[in-house]
Order: sequence, then C-alpha cells, then structure tokens
Amino acid sequence: MKPNTILVFVSLVVAAALVLSACGGAAPPPAETRQPEALPLETAPVAAEKVSLRVWTHQNDAFNEGLQTLADAYMAEHPEVEIAFETFDYDTYIQTLQTALPAGTQADILQMFGSWVCSYAKGGNLAQVPENVITLEAAQEQIFSAQIAGYICDDQLYGIPQEFNIEYGAALVNTRLAEETNLADITSGWSDWEAFIADARQLAVVQDGVMTRAGYNFTGSDGIAATFYSLILQNGGQYLTDEGFRVNTPEGMKALELMKRFVDEGLVDPVLFNDEQNWVGDSYFEETSAIGLVGPWVIPEYAGDFPDVAEVTQYVPLPSISPDPVFVASSGWGLTVSAKSPAQQAAWDFVRYVTLNPENAVQWNIASGTLPALQANASGAAAENLIAEFPYFEPFLKILEYGVHEGHFPDRDLVWYDITYPRVLEFLQGNLTAQETLETIEREVNESF
Amino acid sequence: MNLSRSGNFHGRDAAQRRFVFAAILPMVLYLGFFALFPILWGLALAFFDYSARRAGGPILGMGGDNPFVGLQHFREMLNFSPDAPLIVRQFHTSLKTTLFFAFLILPLNLAITLPLAVMIESAHTRIKGLFRLIFFLAVLAPSVGVAIMWSYIYHPQRGLLNGILTALSGKLVGISWITDPDLFFLGIPVALLAVIVAYLWQDLGYNLVIFIAALQSIPESLRDAARIDGVSDWQMFRYITIPLLKPTILLVCVLTMISSFQVFDIIQVMTEGGGPNELTRVMVIDIYNNAFRFQRMGWASAVSVVLFLLVFIISLLQSRLLRTEWEY
Repeated sequence: MKPNTILVFVSLVVAAALVLSACGGAAPPPAETRQPEALPLETAPVAAEKVSLRVWTHQNDAFNEGLQTLADAYMAEHPEVEIAFETFDYDTYIQTLQTALPAGTQADILQMFGSWVCSYAKGGNLAQVPENVITLEAAQEQIFSAQIAGYICDDQLYGIPQEFNIEYGAALVNTRLAEETNLADITSGWSDWEAFIADARQLAVVQDGVMTRAGYNFTGSDGIAATFYSLILQNGGQYLTDEGFRVNTPEGMKALELMKRFVDEGLVDPVLFNDEQNWVGDSYFEETSAIGLVGPWVIPEYAGDFPDVAEVTQYVPLPSISPDPVFVASSGWGLTVSAKSPAQQAAWDFVRYVTLNPENAVQWNIASGTLPALQANASGAAAENLIAEFPYFEPFLKILEYGVHEGHFPDRDLVWYDITYPRVLEFLQGNLTAQETLETIEREVNESF
Repeated sequence: MNLSRSGNFHGRDAAQRRFVFAAILPMVLYLGFFALFPILWGLALAFFDYSARRAGGPILGMGGDNPFVGLQHFREMLNFSPDAPLIVRQFHTSLKTTLFFAFLILPLNLAITLPLAVMIESAHTRIKGLFRLIFFLAVLAPSVGVAIMWSYIYHPQRGLLNGILTALSGKLVGISWITDPDLFFLGIPVALLAVIVAYLWQDLGYNLVIFIAALQSIPESLRDAARIDGVSDWQMFRYITIPLLKPTILLVCVLTMISSFQVFDIIQVMTEGGGPNELTRVMVIDIYNNAFRFQRMGWASAVSVVLFLLVFIISLLQSRLLRTEWEY
C-alpha cells in the first residue's frame, strides 16, 4: 500500500467515523412534519406491560426528594411502571436540554422552567397534554394563570407547573434590625410607598458617605426586572401589546421614577448593591440589607448558613399603586413529556399524579419549599399545612391570584437579564436618563422578537 | 520510520504496516473527532443562523429551521451605526475590550516578568527555587478560586483593599473597584484594571519560569566576555541578555497574547460576565453568552472566527517582528 493510499484510507475512516457518529441519531423530519404525536382523546388505561420512564430534573435536593417520594408511591400503585431519575446541575441541565431535545435523545419526562417551555414546544420537541389528562380550559381554571400561561403555546398546553414562581409582591424584612431602629410595627405592612420609603430610609446606614447597609435592596436582576414590569402593570399599563413591546409610555416612566426615588431617597446605592456585588440574597442574610426583594426560595437556601437571620426574617407585602397588588411572574418549574417518548401515556399519567392530584401536589410543595401552582392548594387545609411548615408563605398565598404572567418572549432571559436589568441599573446609577432607558429597552427587546 | 515517498515503506512487511495503522489511527481519530471536526463545524456554523434549540436540517441540524445565511453575520459586524442591534454593539464592545485587555496585559506582563526573572536568576541558588515556587503557585491555583479571592479583595465594604485604604485614611473607604461604571483611571475603566491586576497576578509565574529557563540557557562565556570588556549590569541586560532572549520573548509574547485573547473565567466570576455596563465584556464572554445562554450558535461561531483571525494575524505579526536569524 502506497503512503498516499494510506492517507486516503485513514482520511476516509476519519470522515466516515465523523459522519456516522454525528449523524447516527435519527434525523428529525422536516419542520412542518414535526408535529408531536397526540395521544387519542379517549385512551385506554395504562397498559399492564412493563414501562420504564426516565425523568430529567435539575439538581435541587428538596425538589428531587419530593419527586422521588411521589414516584415511589406511584410505582407502588403501578408495579408495571418503573421510574428512574437522572439529574443535572442547573447550567448543565440547560445545555443538555438545548442539545438533547433537537437530537431526540432526551428522557420521557422533562422538568422545565415555565419560561423555557414554548421555545422547546415550538421546535416540536414536547408533547401536548392529552385532553384525558387535563383540557386547556380545565388547566386554566385549576392552575394560577401566571403559572399555566408559560406552558401554553399557540393555545396548546405542553406541560403542567408544580410551583408558583414569585419574585415580587412581598419583601424580606429583618425584624431585629427594624426593632433596633424603632420600627417594631414594620411587619404590619405599609399603606403606601411613602410609608415604605420612610421606613426603609431609616433602616439604611451610611458611614463616611459609604452605604454600609441598604434600607431596601431591590437592585438584583430579578428584583429590578420584576419591579419595573410590575409597576407598569400597577400603573395601568401593558408592556406587551398588539404593536409589539412597549415600555416608552407614561406608565413606564412612572415605574422608573418610583425606582429612582428609592435611590434618591437613600434606600440603596445601586453602585454598591447589584448582581455583581452585594447580591440581595447574600446581602440580606449578611445583614448589609435590611429589606430585600427576592422570592421565598431564598429562605431554604440560606437558612442553614444563617439561622439567626432566618429566625428574625418575615416577608411583608409591598405597597401597591393599584387597588389590586398585581405583579408579574414567570411560570415556575413543572413537568413536560417528550414528543419522542415511546411511553407518553404512562408519562402523562405520572405527571397527572404528581401535579394535578391536589394532595400529591401540595406534598411536593411542602417537600420542596415552594408555593403551590394549583389554586386549590392556596387556600383551606392545604394552605394551612403550607403555612405551618413555612410561615413566611402567608403573605404570598394572599396575593398569588394577582400574579400576571410575564408574557412570551423569544428569549425571556435575554429580556430580563441582558436588557432590562443592565439598562435600568445604568439609569439608577445615573448614566442614562429615564427617556433613554425606556427607548433603549423598547428598541432592544423589539429587536429580539 | 520514514513514511515519505522516497522511503522504503513499500517494502515493509504486512505486520509492520498493521502496526503503523494501529499506532496512528487512534491519534488521527482522536484529533479528527475532538479537534478537526469541532473546528470545521464551528467554521461552518458561522454561515448559518443556527440554534441548538431548533431541529434544523438532517445534516448536523444545519439548514431548515437553521438556515444558511452566508456572510450575513460578518456583514452585520460591520454595522457601526449607533442604532445597530444590541448583539452587534455587544460584539463591538467585546472586540474593543479584548484588544485593550490583550495589549495592556502583554507589556505589563513583560515589564514585570523579565526583570523579575533576571533578579531571581541572580539570587543565591538556595533561595532561587523558593522564589520560583512562590511565583508559580498562583499559576497552579484554579482561575475561579483566584477570581473569588480577588473579588473579596476588591469588595467595597469587606474588601482588603478598601480596608487598607480605610486604615490609612482614617475614614471609611467604600470604592466599588469592580462595579462602579463611572470609575476611570487615565481613561481606562477601573473595573477592567482590577481584572487585569488579578489576571497578571495569576499569569506571572508561567512566563517567569519560561524566562528563568531561557536565562539559564544563555552561555556563561558570553557574560564572562562582556565582563572582561567592562560592561555594566544594565549594559549586560540591555545588550547581552535581551538580544539572546529574543526567541523566548517571541514565544512569551505569542503565548501571552493568545491566552489574554481567550480570557474568560476570571471575568465571568469577578464581574458576572462583563459588568459594570459591559466595561469588562471580552470576546469569549460574548461567545459564551451567545452560544450557551441565548443559543445563537451561528452568531457565536462567527465571533469565534473573528477571534481566531485576530489571534492568528497578531501572532503572525509578532513572529515577523521578533524573528531572529540566529541561534546560540
């Protein structure tokens, strides 16, 4: 064999290996034919033959232990079904979903954050919820609108949320610091923003011109975005309109003006307190922020390391400009089923068992320390059980009905974290005018559509 | 073993040929799959509007919902209007910051490591090794750990740097070294300078060891001859050491430039991916965000191609400028 023949041979082997390895997975059919196979409306009971279900979740011990408990109970009731969990750390999970779904190598059941669902559903990767599991209308009746909305894409339902994700409506308050500042009645709430600003200003500490404790730390990325869009709604505006994304409006201006007041009145220094340094969760539990705007998920995360602060922490509802304390919310974590799963029927049956059975759903909420997505579990005995376990849930349970879904964006994280947060922060730091901020956000978000 | 046409490979026995195949095939496959294929795929993606979220066409997901766009990404990069899309403006920002970062790192690195290497080399043999170890330890530290450590040093309220300044000034100093977008020194964002200091701290030891090795390889006879001619220490450094180190300086320049163009982890951790106000956003951060946060893989690949061309051209220029025609 001549040397150049060897070269040709080796090249062919390499090329073949590459092509075969890369194209080895089943190639997806053209886009227009990639409609997920819908289950028959009236399906037979789950077949008695052995069914194995793979479930993908992100690594969150509380979430997964709660889910495992329910899976064990389900398998005891359905011995023909075997459920195996595969977990990934958060960043890896996002990347795994992004690559595995188009490649068709995903598990049967996929845990999804609500704001991700439509981007995958539109790619034909997720199965529609069969009507024998729940109809769209029934889901909208039973589940909080802010939570189910993320799972509805083009009027079709693609999954069921397990939790109510909330980043606005109530704020963490350090009652010990409040007492030391003679604000003992702070937990009774504030009648309006003037009262709030007065209290938060007293809680701020400035030494030699340096803010050593923020009165109200809302300048994290979630806090800024949630505040901005919630205040637009409370002022009677809408940022998603038929003409596109609109924030350069009187309501947008009012929202920014109030946020700037928080800074100008000395509640927070946005140069010192932001996502890069003194992030609200860290800062609150290190007691460099007296009031912090962050969702209730933060308590279990920090209570172990900061038990003394957790003990004196209460969530207090924020004032509202509108009579109803409307706020924007992302749809939280829930379960979806892969369109390519060979066991969709069994998969949906398990999803229904976990998410739509109120007792099971609240059991998972208690295990995971999350607010319920099911309306039935936000009142009555279920709510009492939740409050008994997590007393700080009480103010949130009262406002869940006012949650408004943040809306569908091609890339919600881009809008929240790469456009809204940096632009509003620039404004609060004094590097953009309010008008420039609104114009920039509006233009950049519309570009993303 | 001679595999060239003029060699006698043709006459070797079959067993030897099989051995050759067996020996080179794993490496060829390895390089083909883990180096050549990703490079070629990355290059190809630069000409597609590709997102891993979309299934796309049958060949590696290209085509279909991930359409071929030709040179569109590169044409968009040339849009310098203030109304250019955010993605383009972020690319311009990252390109500018990367060039600034790399061209600031290189002279600073050389200005510190070269004299330091000479000083260490001139130290007593017993403590020479200790100095080498001390400076090289930072190289061994994981970048994320280094970034976290420097973030604490720069922390406005609890940071070591402000603590020292507070102790010296007698009043509380709360400078936001890495989060204040209005803080500049000689027109350079202080946040970027703060990152550069952290990067230099970690990177110094690497070049230092290379320079020390090069200094040790300079024949002592040359120095002896110079001493006999009565040259001063400075003249020795200027006219003997530096010229003889030119090939090493070239190597260090190229390596430092390449690594500073690829800076990622320190910035990702210290300034949360390029803050404040994107003053520390470099090209690899831009590539990472577009590719893995926002799934704009096609655009990210196009930026990668630009980064590759930049590094390639600058390395080529460096090798031309610092090339020597002799060896010792």
